[in-house]
Amino acid sequence: MKLRYTRLAPAYLTFIIIFIPLYPYKANAVAFEDDEACLMCHKYIRMARITEEGVFRSYYVPPETFAKTVHRNVPCRDCHDYIKQLPHRKVEEGVRCDQECHSKKNPATGKPFSHKAIYNLYAESVHSREKNATGLDNDKPYCITCHTNPVYNPNEVEPPKEILDRCELCHEKRGFVKQWYFHTSRRVLDVKRTGQEVVKICIRCHANQDLIERHKNAADEEGRPLGDKFTIAATSYQKSFHGKVTRYGLAGAATCLDCHADNSQYYEGVHKILPSRNPESPVSQKNRVKTCQRCHEYADEKYAAVDPHPSFNKEFNPILHNAEYIYSIVGEVIVAALLGLALFETIGRRRDGIAWRLRKGSTWWRRSHRSRSRVIPY
Amino acid sequence: MKLSEQASNVLHDSMRRNSTTDDEREDILSLIEKLPDDRVYLYKNVISNPIGDLPRYSIHIRLQHLLTFTTFLLLAFTGLPVYFIDAFWAQPFSHMLGGIDVTRVIHRTLASIMIFSMLYHIVTIVGGTVHKIVTGKFDLRRTVIPTMKDLRDIKEDMLYFSGHRMQRPEMDKFMYKQKIHYFAAAFGNFVMIFSGSAFLFPDIWAGILPDGWAFYFQNIMRLAHSHEALLALVVIAFWHWYNVHLAPGRFPMQWTFLTGKITREHQIEEHFLEYLRNIVELPEERKFLNTLLSLIDLGKPEPQVIGNDSVPLGEGQRP
Repeated sequence: MKLRYTRLAPAYLTFIIIFIPLYPYKANAVAFEDDEACLMCHKYIRMARITEEGVFRSYYVPPETFAKTVHRNVPCRDCHDYIKQLPHRKVEEGVRCDQECHSKKNPATGKPFSHKAIYNLYAESVHSREKNATGLDNDKPYCITCHTNPVYNPNEVEPPKEILDRCELCHEKRGFVKQWYFHTSRRVLDVKRTGQEVVKICIRCHANQDLIERHKNAADEEGRPLGDKFTIAATSYQKSFHGKVTRYGLAGAATCLDCHADNSQYYEGVHKILPSRNPESPVSQKNRVKTCQRCHEYADEKYAAVDPHPSFNKEFNPILHNAEYIYSIVGEVIVAALLGLALFETIGRRRDGIAWRLRKGSTWWRRSHRSRSRVIPY
Repeated sequence: MKLSEQASNVLHDSMRRNSTTDDEREDILSLIEKLPDDRVYLYKNVISNPIGDLPRYSIHIRLQHLLTFTTFLLLAFTGLPVYFIDAFWAQPFSHMLGGIDVTRVIHRTLASIMIFSMLYHIVTIVGGTVHKIVTGKFDLRRTVIPTMKDLRDIKEDMLYFSGHRMQRPEMDKFMYKQKIHYFAAAFGNFVMIFSGSAFLFPDIWAGILPDGWAFYFQNIMRLAHSHEALLALVVIAFWHWYNVHLAPGRFPMQWTFLTGKITREHQIEEHFLEYLRNIVELPEERKFLNTLLSLIDLGKPEPQVIGNDSVPLGEGQRP
């Protein structure tokens, strides 16, 4: 019997299905040094637990993802310096972002690198809190609330070959050159968050009604001041013109940081958000005009009185609330009256014999119910 | 037809303004005499061309209408997705138009064209009025300016619709509905331009206004821009389009906005006083009526078989 190759198709298919998954793919090389062997445990995806409060906590560190973050070259224990033994004990402290963490010296100061300078600015801001804060302070953002460490720079996929070739001539190691390129390009290129991203981060807390209620009640009980617009800050912004066009992705429309952060040094300003009652705040009475003038060239004291958080709420803006109510009522009455008129007119004319369409020179070819039909039969 | 006092005034006034000769005057008056007393029989039996028989709007008015309605609709399409950002259709629709970076440019460009259209209209009506005054043809009743007669017309029309009057009132070139719509549109246009400028130049407005006004001004303008646009769109969609496209006798559309002409039956039914002027100004209209009246007796309200295919009632217009 002659064997036909086509009859072997099921056999080929079975072979492919069984053996292809077993093909030894090349594992992704870990781009960062794991000299302390932390990944020995933390590379496992199910490395997690459920806390006493019932919260699921994952301790999985995806090596490929971490290798793309800005901290890829920082040894784990530079930040997690409370780890003294392996396996380590239960972690109570957590990582503070102001500690001197990097083993390599800061070339500008000769000291170990640290985020202390920016951390100190944050500590002066209205958002300031301790790492392991409890109570109301626990609602405030810590560094990692905003710095979720996303890969912002698409150029990190692969640096231009010409640049690598050139740098490699003196710096010899291509890997070092590549890392240095990533490090500098991330900072040189415009990698600020978009307006949509900024607002998204802010409203995570400022649109949280439970959080707002907690803080408002506490402030009322303690008799301490809270921002006038604290309870409607996010919702009113999102309904404002600035908020709407920002949601549509328009670059250049004012976001939260454009007004509430001191933009004379943007990166300092966004970390040192101050309450409006603080005279240093860009939205304080003293600085408001200057802040408005950043976008609105001719802004003056009168303009600075315009509400950037318009609300139709009776409590915040009774005039706008009533104006909207009147507008709605008038609009509904007008539309209802006009539709009523159209219906009344239609019924009246139809009774007198008008048809919908003009045919053979006339629209009055129907029989009139008022005894005045067309003389010329249709 | 025995004319009412106001109709008679209009007729004689028109003959005076048009310097009608004695022969023409006699011709017109004898024609009026032959018309049926019940105006309803006249507009039910005349022959009308769907695209219009009698002049109504100049090319300027038609161009202004074209510019206004195209810009208005596109302004609404580019602006309302911003106001209704949370509606399910808003973001996909805005994205379909090119996204906010594109629609904001379109919106502002169209707003400029709409302002141009408004200025063009003002120049046209002011210039036209001055010309009519100079030539002695200006007649306030023929304009869109509201008069007390309009209130009486509304009342009489309601009574007709409800079956308490046998005829609709004798209305002029612009009836009460058109006057309401015209001034609503003019007011809306003004509000939209005014409030739109508050969006575009908030700081300049604040500088101009007295102390303490900017806060309320901006609040009200922000509210007015969106609500006025929405109201205008709803009125246009439900009322204006109904009146000119869907109402009995107008379906599928009135061609006036393109041809500038109104159908004969429509003119007699809703603008009888203007029709009397047409009789004075247009000899061919007198000829049409004379021919029609020679064929049928409109004073005898019973079915009559008249004419045949060769009766010259007008090109393509046969009963």
